[in-house]
Amino acid sequence: MTTKGKKDHSTATTWREPELSPISLLEAIRRHGRVWGDLAAQYGVTNPDPPWKVNLEATCDALSAEACALPLLERRAEEDELSASLYRDVPYPERQLLALAHSMIRRGLVDEEELGRRMKEVYRRLTSV
Amino acid sequence: MSTSKHDRTHHAKKATGKGDPQCFKGEAGPAKFKVGDRVRIRDLPDIFYTRCQMYTRGAAGTVTALVYESPAAEDEAWDNTDKPEWFYSVKFMQKELWPEYSDTYANDSVETEFSERWLEKA
Amino acid sequence: MTEKHKPAPMVDEVSDFEVLEMAVRELAIEKGLFSAEDHRRWTEYVHTLGPLPAARLVAKAWLDPEYKKLAVRDGVKASLAVGVDWINGMPTNFGTPSDYCNLRVLEDTPKLKHVVVCTLCSCYPRPILGQSPEWYRTPNYRRRLVRWPRQVLAEFGLQLPADVEVRVADSNQKTRYIVLPVRPAGTEGWTEEQLAAIVTRDCLIGVAVPKPGVTANAKRPVHPAVHPIHHGH
Repeated sequence: MTTKGKKDHSTATTWREPELSPISLLEAIRRHGRVWGDLAAQYGVTNPDPPWKVNLEATCDALSAEACALPLLERRAEEDELSASLYRDVPYPERQLLALAHSMIRRGLVDEEELGRRMKEVYRRLTSV
Repeated sequence: MSTSKHDRTHHAKKATGKGDPQCFKGEAGPAKFKVGDRVRIRDLPDIFYTRCQMYTRGAAGTVTALVYESPAAEDEAWDNTDKPEWFYSVKFMQKELWPEYSDTYANDSVETEFSERWLEKA
Repeated sequence: MTEKHKPAPMVDEVSDFEVLEMAVRELAIEKGLFSAEDHRRWTEYVHTLGPLPAARLVAKAWLDPEYKKLAVRDGVKASLAVGVDWINGMPTNFGTPSDYCNLRVLEDTPKLKHVVVCTLCSCYPRPILGQSPEWYRTPNYRRRLVRWPRQVLAEFGLQLPADVEVRVADSNQKTRYIVLPVRPAGTEGWTEEQLAAIVTRDCLIGVAVPKPGVTANAKRPVHPAVHPIHHGH
């Protein structure tokens, strides 16, 4: 565990430090993915949020419900850490999505390679005419 | 039946139609503190899942309400829901929490909740 | 649905983020982390949420002293009158795992101003107020409000006299809070609808106070522009 600067006590917890090293798949998305702000501006869409934001919120709810695969406090603490480091330049809600994927990969809930394969398949599905 | 450590189906059966924390009403036994009591926040060792904020540890405040009975968050995270505790709303004066808080705003306060294990008589 | 002469603009490309969200969700379902049915119910639920019920609760409380007493004494029961059932109206029939069933309505007075935060993780009274705004979720707000409330409120344009008690309510356990602000002058004879219109989400969190004529939350610059126009893709 690396030493860190003194933590502000207001939001501090005493849990283990989250794993903050970059994940290649997510780094590629962070660098090249087009965020909603840019897309909406380009196409003249006035919705402040991307259509998938509601699905993301539901996923976070579902993960902390019944089987509780990823408890709320843990996910949020990691989201805070990742939002202040790796994903600090990514707007919300893209930032929340990357942090979620990051937490899930680091916990072994999904595998990075399999996520990459599934993304290719989803992209094919969504763009096939 | 789910084999996950955090199997919530038992909880679901207990709480359906009643609500959480309502489903724990009557299970905590007598409350140790009452409204108006001065209490101090204990600095218990954390493992994971504490909801007792660091900024309140060691501070003294006043109980403003007995809000509900529930398993402590620290137990609930591991599905140890057998021993609900009383939860208290406690009000702290800001200058009690932060030494540098300006005396100009002497009435300012923070109110937040604690399960009974975190409190001792101040 | 009425005919439109021009179709509404839509984003005609698929972003990596859209793909990532879907891929994560599909894998989570396949691995049994939750079911497709669960996810659908949560999505439907999230779609129904907004700040109107809380605004109406405040408006009703301003018009009816008995209802105001009920709201302060039993927020869950008072919520029923504005169509929000914290217990049975949720996907789980016992409240959601992050919202629970203990709404407390915090009554402001001329000498007491409440403002709400969750320092630990940004818990929020979603069933009656909708999804939280981004600024509410940031460590910037959560860390600073509890320690320097007057500075943070000043940034929201709210300044209070020194003798007013600014009380920060930190919803760190199962209680969720909304603020019942003081009814402003200039609203005499108003209907419930007119009153509810000036009770914005920011008033219900406590970072603003209701004002006749102000029916929208102030715009907040939360994040600097991170993808300036010159980034060509």
